[in-house]
Amino acid sequence: MIIAEQKPLDEILEMISGVERLLVLGCRGCVAVCSTGGDKEVGVLASALRLGRNKAGKPIKIDEETYVRQCDPEYLEPLKQDGENYDAVLSMACGVGVNFIADRCPDINVLPALDTSFYGANLSSGEWAEMCAGCGACVLHLTGGLCPVARCAKSLSNGPCGGSVGGSCEINKDLPCIWHQICEKLTGRNQDQLLREIVPIRDWRPSGHGGPRRRIREDLLP
Amino acid sequence: MNNNHQIGRIVAFCCNYTASVATDTLRDAGLIPESLDVRKLPCTGRIEVPALLDAFEQGAEAVFVAGCRVDECHNLSGSRRAEKRVGYTKKILKELDIDPDRIEMFFVHYGETQPIVEAVREMTARISKLERLHSI
Repeated sequence: MIIAEQKPLDEILEMISGVERLLVLGCRGCVAVCSTGGDKEVGVLASALRLGRNKAGKPIKIDEETYVRQCDPEYLEPLKQDGENYDAVLSMACGVGVNFIADRCPDINVLPALDTSFYGANLSSGEWAEMCAGCGACVLHLTGGLCPVARCAKSLSNGPCGGSVGGSCEINKDLPCIWHQICEKLTGRNQDQLLREIVPIRDWRPSGHGGPRRRIREDLLP
Repeated sequence: MNNNHQIGRIVAFCCNYTASVATDTLRDAGLIPESLDVRKLPCTGRIEVPALLDAFEQGAEAVFVAGCRVDECHNLSGSRRAEKRVGYTKKILKELDIDPDRIEMFFVHYGETQPIVEAVREMTARISKLERLHSI
């Protein structure tokens, strides 16, 4: 899922400094699952912003709403009309939601409450880790399912760098060297011939370096 | 504690099994100040951050949560969860430049009244040293 983190409150308060009527808009997609932008977090942020503005002597009227998703057009339909009641809409979706509101509801002043971080998995309650870089050219069949693009600090394609020591990455000893794990796993499965394959220089265009990406499935087009 | 009403309202979220018993006893004995707004919960693990912030929004100068001692919680981890939520609320208050000492977690043994008295005294002492959060 997409992992995000709420921006610091002083940054958000600065963003809404001239706003008198605000809609805090959550999303029940990824950001709700990673406890950053769902119903509960909307309540916490709205309450915190009211407290902050009251303390500054500038009370604000805040309404709270959470959509099923902010990245599908049908769920944004109500916002086209409801959004007119507010000076700004503070989106608690990932950057996709904020962009989509800006695209679909151009008259609405949409602001981001979150910093979108990465594609990750939930390790335990309250802990997430990056597992995928969305690079557009998956090599997991060659690496025992462990991604060297997202989980190697240097996104190396052909084994660990010289900084891999005792199974740890040189940038942080608490971070496992994913290439160490890949080697251990493939060797243990007698698939070490995969390690001898030289992976050519990666074409980074599918990862976004070739411009914004778009996927089209003809059979689903209207 | 007779002058507590002059220094602002304190909201106490209390576990129904332990701390609420103490507050009932103290209230019957006339030992609970008028400024203390006691809200009973089936377990302090039920408390959520929005409720803690809402208490401040509604005019509290200080908030405390009184739950079971960590190893005595009827629901095993309720008071530990409450402690974490109090901690998260402290972080939010700090970000808003509001003194995080305005909220605290207290652990109370079943039937003990003294920790509640001390909690009220402690929170009263804290807010008496701070500027008022809300105008009178």
